[in-house]
Amino acid sequence: MSAMYGRLVGLLVDRFEVNRAEIGPDTTFEDLDMDSLFLVELLLVIQSEFGVHIDDDAASPGDTISQVADLLERHTTSPASS
Amino acid sequence: MTARTPPATAVTGIGLVTAAGIGTDATWQGVCAGRSAAARNPLLAGLSVDISCTVPGFSPREHVGRRSSLTQDRFIQLSIAAAREAVADSGLDPTTWDGARVGVVVGCGLGGVATWETQHRRMLEQGPQAVSALLIPMLVPNMVAGHLAMDLRATGPNLVTATACASGATAIGAALQLLRDGSCDIVIAGGGEAGVSPLMVTGFAQMGALSRRLDEPSAASRPFDADRDGFVIGEGSGMLVLEREADARARGAHVRAKLAGYGASADAHHMTAPDPEGAGVIQALRTALAAADVMPDEVDHVNAHGTSTPLNDAAEARALRKVLGEGAAVTSTKGVLGHTLGAAGAIEAALTVLTVEHGTVPPTANLQRLDPGVELDVVAGSVRRRGVEVAVSNSFGFGGQNAVLVVTAA
Repeated sequence: MSAMYGRLVGLLVDRFEVNRAEIGPDTTFEDLDMDSLFLVELLLVIQSEFGVHIDDDAASPGDTISQVADLLERHTTSPASS
Repeated sequence: MTARTPPATAVTGIGLVTAAGIGTDATWQGVCAGRSAAARNPLLAGLSVDISCTVPGFSPREHVGRRSSLTQDRFIQLSIAAAREAVADSGLDPTTWDGARVGVVVGCGLGGVATWETQHRRMLEQGPQAVSALLIPMLVPNMVAGHLAMDLRATGPNLVTATACASGATAIGAALQLLRDGSCDIVIAGGGEAGVSPLMVTGFAQMGALSRRLDEPSAASRPFDADRDGFVIGEGSGMLVLEREADARARGAHVRAKLAGYGASADAHHMTAPDPEGAGVIQALRTALAAADVMPDEVDHVNAHGTSTPLNDAAEARALRKVLGEGAAVTSTKGVLGHTLGAAGAIEAALTVLTVEHGTVPPTANLQRLDPGVELDVVAGSVRRRGVEVAVSNSFGFGGQNAVLVVTAA
């Protein structure tokens, strides 16, 4: 898994009190009981913590952790695409 | 019962989360012991007043779960914990009840003020992008009833009352009316508040409403005492399950007491000071007694508003003396729990139910020298055991809003 995946998992554990054992690459945010409002909150925290800007509709609760990590990775490497 | 008398309303469940402890038993024992829960609060360090009555050992994650621990302000979390206890106590099962016939009415004076403060600070320090997407649903007062509806699967009438420090009593009064007009069969009613935040405490301190007995926190809240100098801010929640008595009896529920009457009024006098002659209080009290169909000399006990501020206690005492004489045993439980603002009326209504049920009148903590102007039988020292057939719970809010509940023995 990528470094970004690890950072995302760390954020979910530290800031959103998710049990690390519940998280895997194919786990969706819905699996973690995180709805769309929660996801907006997550993206705001990511923006603040990681310095990455992504639109708040770029991810949905049905996305997996690895999908969102990949999204963040892309935005980190090509910030102009945000 | 005359033809005009509405069906009696039963209290079949109680939930309490207060500075005396989590749960009805802990709160009742703390209140009966007359043990003040006030203490210095590190959150308030450096402020002109740094004492409060805070719920000890409340773990949001344990009481409301991980998700709600992150998405609810504390006033909602305390309320959910109290409501769950009340429903469990009633023996009702939210997974099987007809939710459309279950209402929720909650009193709340402030809403999510701690969330407001935290997020406002973030906006100033880190910019608008740092503000939580959850700010609004955590902040607005009505969300407490909304969350309770979700938690309890209660889809009947759902509302929040805001009459400042009378809010919790107003909620219970509104619930009584919902039952009487047939809108619901069951109402979860009470109040919740978590206003122990630096800005709120400063606001009350700047008004001169708070006790400055900072070196002796446990003696600071002293209702009706000659040396009182203000209230101690508290937090908590009190919830009741209310049903028509016939319904409660039919399902074999334990009826703790009956909610017999409700009276509300406005002083129309001043923003914060009570009418010195207690005119608004007298009106609400007489309305509530008439609604309960009881005579003033039948009142055995009064759970007074009794904030421990010089003005409130004097005006309330005059009003009580005028309407009830001196036959009733009077207690203010704010000596133990502090003043929980919008939750106070509900917590005190629950304690009034327990007083009636147990025939045990709690003492007023810290009452050492009764204010000579208070011509009432204020219970001090230790509990007084006596039959309590009729009891009154008084609640008054800034803005001159008054709510009085009458509780009678089952």
